[in-house]
Amino acid sequence: MSVLIDVQGLGKTFTDTTMRLGPKRPPVRAVESVSFQIHQGEALAVVGESGCGKSTLGRLLLHLIEASEGRVMFENRDMSAMSRHEIRQLRQRMQMVFQDPFGSLSPRRTVADIIAEPMDSFGLTKSRKDRREKVAELLDLVGLPPSYMDRRPRQFSGGQRQRIGIARAISVDPAFIVADEPVSALDVSIQAQIINLMQDLQEKRGFSFLFIAHDLAVVRHVADRVAVMYLGRIVEMGTKAQIYSSPHHPYTEALMSAAPRPDPAARSNRIILEGDVPSPSNVPSGCPFRTRCPLAAEICSVERPPLIEVEPGHTAACHFATPYPIAQRSPAT
Amino acid sequence: MTDASTAEASAELVAEREALAPEPGFREAFAQVILERPSTRIAFVVVVLFILIAVFAPLLAPHDPLRQSILQINRQPSWDHWLGTDQFGRDVLSRLIHGSQNSLIFGLLSPVFAAFFGTLLGVTAGYMGGIVDRVISRVIDMLMAFPELLLAILIAAALGGSFWNIVVVLTVAFTPGFARVARASTMAVKQEPYVEAAVAAGVSTPRIIFRHIVPNIAAPIVVLMALWSASSIRIEATLSFLGIGTQPPNPSWGNIIRDGLSNMFATQWPIAAGGLAITIVVLAISIIGDSVRDFLDPETNQ
Amino acid sequence: MSDRLLDIRDLSVEFGPVARPLRVVDRVSFSIDAGKTLGIVGESGSGKSMTALSVLRLVPEPPARISGQILFDGRDLLKVPRRNMPAIRGKDIGMIFQEPMASLNPLMSIGDQIAEAIMLHESMSADRRRERVLDLLRLVGLPDPEGRLGAYPDQFSGGMRQRVMAAIAMACNPRLLIADEPTTALDVTIQAQVLEMMLDIRRRFNSAILLITHDLGVVAEVCERVVVMYAGKVVEDADVGSLFANALHPYTQGLLRSVPSLTDTRKRLYQIPGSVPPARTIKAGCPFRPRCPARMDRCAVEMPPLVPYAPGHRAACWAVSKEMAE
Repeated sequence: MSVLIDVQGLGKTFTDTTMRLGPKRPPVRAVESVSFQIHQGEALAVVGESGCGKSTLGRLLLHLIEASEGRVMFENRDMSAMSRHEIRQLRQRMQMVFQDPFGSLSPRRTVADIIAEPMDSFGLTKSRKDRREKVAELLDLVGLPPSYMDRRPRQFSGGQRQRIGIARAISVDPAFIVADEPVSALDVSIQAQIINLMQDLQEKRGFSFLFIAHDLAVVRHVADRVAVMYLGRIVEMGTKAQIYSSPHHPYTEALMSAAPRPDPAARSNRIILEGDVPSPSNVPSGCPFRTRCPLAAEICSVERPPLIEVEPGHTAACHFATPYPIAQRSPAT
Repeated sequence: MTDASTAEASAELVAEREALAPEPGFREAFAQVILERPSTRIAFVVVVLFILIAVFAPLLAPHDPLRQSILQINRQPSWDHWLGTDQFGRDVLSRLIHGSQNSLIFGLLSPVFAAFFGTLLGVTAGYMGGIVDRVISRVIDMLMAFPELLLAILIAAALGGSFWNIVVVLTVAFTPGFARVARASTMAVKQEPYVEAAVAAGVSTPRIIFRHIVPNIAAPIVVLMALWSASSIRIEATLSFLGIGTQPPNPSWGNIIRDGLSNMFATQWPIAAGGLAITIVVLAISIIGDSVRDFLDPETNQ
Repeated sequence: MSDRLLDIRDLSVEFGPVARPLRVVDRVSFSIDAGKTLGIVGESGSGKSMTALSVLRLVPEPPARISGQILFDGRDLLKVPRRNMPAIRGKDIGMIFQEPMASLNPLMSIGDQIAEAIMLHESMSADRRRERVLDLLRLVGLPDPEGRLGAYPDQFSGGMRQRVMAAIAMACNPRLLIADEPTTALDVTIQAQVLEMMLDIRRRFNSAILLITHDLGVVAEVCERVVVMYAGKVVEDADVGSLFANALHPYTQGLLRSVPSLTDTRKRLYQIPGSVPPARTIKAGCPFRPRCPARMDRCAVEMPPLVPYAPGHRAACWAVSKEMAE
């Protein structure tokens, strides 16, 4: 598998650029020194609470917002060095599915117009007839009857709208899709439908994909690898099996423990994190998680733990994570 | 997932599809919203009627609107002069009919021009943001600070009160209002997830502006247009009244009222007729504006 | 029967013309005992929120027509004059909604909002009221209550706002707390905190809780009894243990199997095909039939009655009744 996307030291700081009088708001470090690779046909899940920078990361990868530091290489080309025209052409290769099934479809356009929009933009529809045929095919692919194409979004339920959004994203046959919490606004029963649909489509079309979620349970079925983010940084990353069976970061463990289980017998014994995520404009010193961490010790407020390898392909940023013994480390890594 | 359950899903979806109300086409929706309201229908007929009157004025007017007759001054309505005559013995009805040309052209032309330029400026400022926005906004603020009437008098005094001068003046005077509304609406619509979705899908900027921004800010622009149409007819009347609009002896509704006012103790018909004509047209345009706004708003257009 | 706090009998909510009514809640019956937690589970369009709103008499009538009985402490709330309802809401029945920001006044400090809720129903001195407000904020687990009294809603995160909402709801020590999707808009970690807070509230006040949710995981965490609703009808109700161990209705089974889980190694999630049909399309028979893997001919003709199959465990399904008969 070749590398499709190579993220190198990516960071984004939002600064207050308004011309108001008075004190400016402090800059917000939404994403900080994030590095990873996504291979062709691979699904990477990014999980974290709201405000952890996961949506910003998704938008940085698509160059919907510009990075303050680091770079994103797409098929070995540096996106930050591209012209606006080149970026727009690249959008044919990378698409996005949005969280809000209601807001992300324009209310005054028909389903056909919405789905065909990316194709129209890149001149992929030859005639009216061709366009309708392609839209019909896409609707069928996402499990909606083609006769829906002349209706407007308000007639559809959340799950159906999300299917329309997915049809729009895959219409230009992209190599990479960012799905920003595509199921968190849906009923649990509908979540399963959408997750299965995205999995099927990935198998059929072979795109890579970044799946953003706040819930580790949702991601389990989609992801090949999982990255857990906290306050703009990746705190743990590994393959699905590694993350779910042997989490090394206390935050990952807390996230798993917080997911409600449909089993009344398993009620007790959960780790309940105290308080909220601190403001990203005022990140705690040392380890950013220490204010809520059940393991926090003195060193945590002084020194920020680096991402260390705890087993091959599995990294965690915690002072208490045991580093993978050097002796056992394979020469390749 | 087995094929059986997929089949079930589609069976269920077929049942659901039957249930969905058919989506009305544009024409049906238009007919529904615009023409099903009796008030709108009447307003529509009124405006069309006035436009026809203006177009066919020479054929409809029973008399030459400029012909004076010392023998027939200040007549009350009669078979020959339905609305009587003014202090120069001119037929009031004929002047009203010919005057509709000037008044309606003013009433419609300047707001349409201003809506075009204002929307262009406002959308540019709102969508581009940054320094472009700041420059455009400051210019708009400057223009806004001038009362439109004062501006009109100023320019008319400097350049003379020709027809096109007045149109230009009113266009300049109305543009900032449209630009303000367009800019604010654009900034709001720009935040909508579907606009971000379009950017992410690779849609070009001009296409985003014309497909996603403009249709979604059209409603307030149309309302403003109706509002300014009314104002425009009124301002033209004021300018004519002040003597810098339509130049006598040519008639417009404004100067019919002005001439009537200086003669109001002899006959009240010119004032009443001119005033009523302005009121009816302004009201009709406002009603149509409201309906069009409802039509353009996807939430009320059910 | 003294501990039966809320007893809903044959509650129906209809909209539209009398001749062709749109029934969004259809002859729903269930009850909550004092101090217990009951969850209503269903997808969007199942009528679960409408049921809760009817208890509070917050459904505008007209256009809605509500029939049946809502016995709160033996008194039928549907017979209480509308103008007397505000005295019951807030005092005897508290409520928490999904979007706390929309339910809080952005221009009033949270201390004042909680104090106002107390003032509406009880008179006491300003000092005592302040003490009470602080107690409530401590109860709902808001850190640094003294320092936060003067803060405004936009200074709080979603989870903290939900705590403030709970403090307002509990201001007068209500015997019933209605929570409509209180954690749906929250992160899982914060959801866990809020659920913990609700359990804590129940322990300390002995208030009954009516929890509306689409997530069976949430129900498993906090409820004692569950009512499963589909297209305006109760399709199953049971004790939590019995429901999760032995769900009878195919819909409940589907819901249970579609919950993603951390320990699940299946490649694919189970999914119930399709979605809840719009109310106006439901014809005779069982509304779940088009999506049901166990459907029979009879389901198209006749709606199955809600009948008990075990003590305290009822379901409305022909397939279940057939299976039990065999």
